[in-house]
Amino acid sequence: MDELDLLRKDWKNQEENLPHFKAEQLYKMLLKKSSSIVKWIFIISLIELSFGILMNILFMDDQFWKEVDTIHLKTATIVIYIISYIITGAFIVIFYKRYRKISAADSSFHLMKNILKTRRVVKYYIIYILASSGITMMLFYIYTLKYTPAISQNLEDTSWFTIIGIGLICILVLLLFLWGVYSLLYGILLKKLLRNYKELKNLDF
Amino acid sequence: MKKETEHTFVKLLEEHQNIVHKICRMYTYDQDSHYDLFQEITIQLWKAYPKFRGDAKFSTWMYRVALNTAITLYRKSKRKPQTQDIEQFSFKIKAEEYDDTTEQQLKIMYAAIKELNDIDKALVFLYLEGKNYSEISETLGISEVNARVKMNRVKKKLKDILSA
Repeated sequence: MDELDLLRKDWKNQEENLPHFKAEQLYKMLLKKSSSIVKWIFIISLIELSFGILMNILFMDDQFWKEVDTIHLKTATIVIYIISYIITGAFIVIFYKRYRKISAADSSFHLMKNILKTRRVVKYYIIYILASSGITMMLFYIYTLKYTPAISQNLEDTSWFTIIGIGLICILVLLLFLWGVYSLLYGILLKKLLRNYKELKNLDF
Repeated sequence: MKKETEHTFVKLLEEHQNIVHKICRMYTYDQDSHYDLFQEITIQLWKAYPKFRGDAKFSTWMYRVALNTAITLYRKSKRKPQTQDIEQFSFKIKAEEYDDTTEQQLKIMYAAIKELNDIDKALVFLYLEGKNYSEISETLGISEVNARVKMNRVKKKLKDILSA
């Protein structure tokens, strides 16, 4: 006889040893908060999506605009802000639409696929934030050096090639560090899901 | 209306709770984690319940949501189990029904199942519950052929463990 058939025969007996919850206990459970991975992805994504907006609000005081004006970047900054709000808004809409598609009643493979697609939206948003931050930082770095007399006089003997090189390396190190933290956070959160997703996906080959 | 829905749901859950308990026993190694997973499954079932249209059997729908919670949504990391834990908190065998060899075989098989990966456990669970390959493939979202191939591999794996 097949080994599993032997188990199948015994399987019914297992029901005798199982715990049993009464209706009152089940009612109480309905009031408890979920700690599912989807809930955590949702919370973290909202924090990430609002991160750009929060940074803008925190830094956009009078002093900031005065300094931006000094280094001749006022118009460029306004344009960058408008574009970034439009892009963030679009990401929020796409994220919300994807999030609504996640259903625990789907097949396991589709559920995992939908969660990963939803997370990918936020991943692209983070790539966009890091890339645009890098470009903006570089722009501010160059214009600050160029239009701040005290600094530009001190750097007269240094070539622009060296100045840009140093700035580029510092910005890249900072962005790589942020990307590392981000990947680690999701790596821990999605470890189990990714393992099981790969397992199901590999079945198709 | 909400009260009535809640009442119907709890009644159905109370009636079919063994399905959830069996899944919890498959995927956890101690009583606290068992209750923790049971609770998360209950919450996920309740959240998904408004979309349950009743064209499928409640138990069929329940298998899907409960297994998805265990293999996908449940966040708590699995503690590496000690052998004595597996023996203490595992499937119980009614010794008087079997001879010594069969009893021993069942013990080894239940212990081996606990050590399978999440997807293999889901396959074995659905198989032991008497689900056919069409239902297994629908629940997991893979083709029927692949479900069958995978199941044969799991059977071989268990056979090897037993003959080792």
